[in-house]
Amino acid sequence: MKFFKKSDLLVISVILAVGIIIWILYQCIYTDKAPIAEIYYYSELVETVSLDKGTDRKFSIPQEPNVIFHLDREGRICFEESDCPDKVCINTGKLNKVGQFAACLPNGIVLKIVSQEKNNDDVDIVVGN
Amino acid sequence: MQNIKNLNKTQLMVLTGLIFASALVLSLIESMLPPLPIPVPGVKFGLSNIAVMYCLFFLGEKQAYIIAILKATFVFITRGLIAGALSLSGGILSITVMFLLLLLLKERISYLVISIFGAVFHNIGQFIVIILIYVGMNMWVYLPVLLLSGVVAGIVTSTLLRFILPALKRLV
Repeated sequence: MKFFKKSDLLVISVILAVGIIIWILYQCIYTDKAPIAEIYYYSELVETVSLDKGTDRKFSIPQEPNVIFHLDREGRICFEESDCPDKVCINTGKLNKVGQFAACLPNGIVLKIVSQEKNNDDVDIVVGN
Repeated sequence: MQNIKNLNKTQLMVLTGLIFASALVLSLIESMLPPLPIPVPGVKFGLSNIAVMYCLFFLGEKQAYIIAILKATFVFITRGLIAGALSLSGGILSITVMFLLLLLLKERISYLVISIFGAVFHNIGQFIVIILIYVGMNMWVYLPVLLLSGVVAGIVTSTLLRFILPALKRLV
């Protein structure tokens, strides 16, 4: 068995192409509606934040005061501070696109960006006619 | 697969234990590296996959599964239930996919591609668990990133394995 074959390049480009196609499709389906951020504490929705531009504030949820969220002027939200050991949640960075999420698993907190429309899963349904 | 011949039960057990230990050391080293500046949770090289791949290629799939289960147990003890479940599902799915590729394509596939598929499916396995735990998660945004990071991780781990292989061969 060889370490590398020329046909491997084909396999790699197919994988990357699939990735790019999914990304483009996603960008087409979820265009820029003003998104909202949902904060879950152990799978329970505890707070919804509207990602408006122009406000700059820091806040935390009552269940876990050691975790501080930051909503910046551009309408992006991120984990600012956390007492977890790995800091994966902070390194995830700023979120502003529908479907992005950041999780702080040690604290059981998930920050998730969803579309403003209530039924997020029903975007494909055409009403009328 | 060029299985190492003439190992008795004890030798195989000792060797599996040594490889498991090196998998733990590799993941420890990886956790000490500075985090990659990528805005997606959980993207990493998965250096311990080097040990798992060596096991799968040269000792057989049973030993590779044992290492994945032991590693998940270790993660469960040190980092909790969710981290353990993530490790277990990623490890098992990745080994299963790599094993099936080896079984179906035999000599026609290269180590590089197997390694890439292993890394991609490790990511996918972890994401399946995240989706199950946190309902309503939208995976499609992250799938492109997971595919890309899987390709990079696969190239890195298989290249490293290639250079470490002579040293590992001296182990036996």
